[in-house]
Amino acid sequence: MKGHEDNYMTEHDDDRQIRDALKQSFPPVNTELRRDLWPEVLRKFDVRPVRVPWYDWALVGLSAVMFLAFPPLVLVFAYHL
Amino acid sequence: MDLLQRFTHGEIDAFETLVRQFQGDIYAWTVRIVRDPGTAEDLTVETLWRVYRARHRFRPDGNFGAWARRIATNLSIDYLRRNRPEVSFPTEPAGVQQPDPLVQRETRERIQRAFRRLPAKLQVAATLALIEEMPYDEIARALGTSVGAVKLRVFRAVRILRKRLSQAGIRPE
Repeated sequence: MKGHEDNYMTEHDDDRQIRDALKQSFPPVNTELRRDLWPEVLRKFDVRPVRVPWYDWALVGLSAVMFLAFPPLVLVFAYHL
Repeated sequence: MDLLQRFTHGEIDAFETLVRQFQGDIYAWTVRIVRDPGTAEDLTVETLWRVYRARHRFRPDGNFGAWARRIATNLSIDYLRRNRPEVSFPTEPAGVQQPDPLVQRETRERIQRAFRRLPAKLQVAATLALIEEMPYDEIARALGTSVGAVKLRVFRAVRILRKRLSQAGIRPE
């Protein structure tokens, strides 16, 4: 029982040491925001979504048809991914 | 119609008001996790953008701050996952402690590296609980999990870190 308590105390001390070591290794950060981020958020509205070319849609359609016609192809496809 | 309702309907003015109101809180939370002001600013902008895009999923009677903080936490976890250091440090014989400031600095850097190599979810829980000493229930809310799960993550983080530091011959003072 004593040994168990000793182990517990050692582990508890280790935890405290690790907490102290982490606090020393990672100094406090300044949590104050230095500037207004609204203009940057607004800029995101201007970025147009990426257009998917027509041949990618054609490829997806073709794959879907093939998988429906020959279901075992899914396994072959998954194997090559 | 109140501010949050107008936001869920996509009114840009309402969103701007919310951004101005909550950007500081989101940034403060994010910088505590990633510990780099530039990265935290980028992640805050991304969080706010995602908040706007997910506005239909937000209930106007909900807690906007907590919801945004949760999105920020998930983005921070993704960031840490993508930027995890690949290289581990060499193993050295244990037990030698030197008071040399240069050695102490190197030790701190090695502890940082070992910490940064922890799985992202454990790292975030340990950063907020051990370094920032945030309340466990607040961490649990931001991670979308229970207090027990957060405690378990912190426990696992400490155990892994203790093992790695001991293998590298680092004995925390």
